[in-house]
Amino acid sequence: MDDTVLSLKTQLLEKESEIVALKKKLAQLEKGNSVLTELQEKVINLPPLKSNTALNNEDIMRYSRQLLLPELGVKGQVAISNVSVLVVGCGGLGCPVAQYLAAAGVGRLGLLDYDVVELSNLHRQVLHTELTQGQPKALSAAQAISRLNSRVQCVPYHLQLSRENALQLIQQYDIVADCSDNVPTRYLVNDACVLTGRPLVSASALRMEGQLTVYNCRGGPCYRCLYPAPPPPETITNCSDGGVLGVVPGIMGCLQALEVLKIASGQGSSFEKQLLMFDGQEGRFRSIRLRPKQAECAVCGETPTVTELQDYEQFCGSAATDKCRRLNLLTKEQRVSVQEYKAILDSSAPHLLLDVRPKVEVDICHLPISINIPLSSLENKKTEHLTLLKDTVSDLKQQMSIKSQVPVFVVCKLGNDSQKAVQLLEKMSGEEVDQIAVKDVVGGLMAWANKIDPSFPQY
Amino acid sequence: MNTEQVSVLYFAKSAELTGLKAENITVPSNISSLRLWQHLETRHPRLSVLRDQVVLAVRQEYVPLGEQPLTLRDGDEVAVIPPLSGG
Repeated sequence: MDDTVLSLKTQLLEKESEIVALKKKLAQLEKGNSVLTELQEKVINLPPLKSNTALNNEDIMRYSRQLLLPELGVKGQVAISNVSVLVVGCGGLGCPVAQYLAAAGVGRLGLLDYDVVELSNLHRQVLHTELTQGQPKALSAAQAISRLNSRVQCVPYHLQLSRENALQLIQQYDIVADCSDNVPTRYLVNDACVLTGRPLVSASALRMEGQLTVYNCRGGPCYRCLYPAPPPPETITNCSDGGVLGVVPGIMGCLQALEVLKIASGQGSSFEKQLLMFDGQEGRFRSIRLRPKQAECAVCGETPTVTELQDYEQFCGSAATDKCRRLNLLTKEQRVSVQEYKAILDSSAPHLLLDVRPKVEVDICHLPISINIPLSSLENKKTEHLTLLKDTVSDLKQQMSIKSQVPVFVVCKLGNDSQKAVQLLEKMSGEEVDQIAVKDVVGGLMAWANKIDPSFPQY
Repeated sequence: MNTEQVSVLYFAKSAELTGLKAENITVPSNISSLRLWQHLETRHPRLSVLRDQVVLAVRQEYVPLGEQPLTLRDGDEVAVIPPLSGG
């Protein structure tokens, strides 16, 4: 009897703590969802921002520490409260930009992003939380902003900026912050800002480096003055490929917010004709003096050829996303699916599995039987790696007494680099190494994790 | 012909392509910006993919790639700055 009572009491206690946890979670969610933040799926025309001429007592208290700055003062604060800022991209740059602009009291903040929050965003996109995973980033950011400063009018846009909607959107804002993660969007935002006469506070970050320039502002250059031609797609490294230390876009985003506030409060930016570079590894900032806007610029020059928005994905030859492209370089005969490779592995058929990812990625996870020779080593014909390949192939040939070509399967993260490696290896076959029959494992290790081994890490 | 030793700094993609963050090189003191760039391309052929996008800066000032002469002095800093697009 006593035992039963004790057990019931324990169960009750457990249930009670569960209820407390659920109530807490509900309150958090309700607080998040109760804010205005109506998600916009297309561009609408907003009513003009109500103009302030003075600060009320709550404003004075809230902004007191910055009101004390002679550079800002009441006049600057009132100007900030009358300004609208569009943040293009609510990621590693956009989060701190939005956060500091809201904290400083801008009048209206447009938050644009087409993506949803993922776990791999949280190390740098600091407005999003574990609870908002799967939600549109624009909404997640808007909820965080509203909790920080409910007096800021926040307009979340869950849409892809395009040649069709960019002008209508951008002309409704006074200042634009480019916090995007891809080249076509950077050209699109630039051209739209030139065509609508808006200053563009632009930053970017990758790995441990960042760059910042204010374009199209008081006689300074635009993005096209500096970069008339887009980079070849294969030279672009994005954050999902190259990696980024979260605090680096954080620093660049904070600098962007600072420049927006200086422009908004009439102080003008320090980077209208400057390219600021941050090297996080060296801990060093460098500022490069730029030329003024260029008379021959295609969009902001004296006789512009770009007088309306273009197809920027076509112009750049790449998609307006930082997600990886899927290459298709090989024939069906040169590729195997992860299922087919699993069957080969299970049958113990002699073969070599070559992992062509950089070592830093192999350290995250790899298949135990693979040997690692990075694609860059194959491209550069790095001696030690070529020797390793040659020796491994000839050992395998001897051990297994393979008469014909040694089967080599090539794997990487997503199946793009492995295709390039297959092409390189086919050229080497019979030359630098014994005859080999090379095949690409379609979809790489992430396909392996999805379809064969769910316990294999994804990154 | 006078030569000068200048310090070349490689940023972003150019550091990846050259495998270097910095190096000292000896170049003629009177050289066009285009010749200076070609000199760097000769040392590091993989840099050629960046030619149309790169910001070349001498003494922290942008120089367009072209025929206009630069006057380099010993110890000058040359920076190779391809654009970053991530965020």
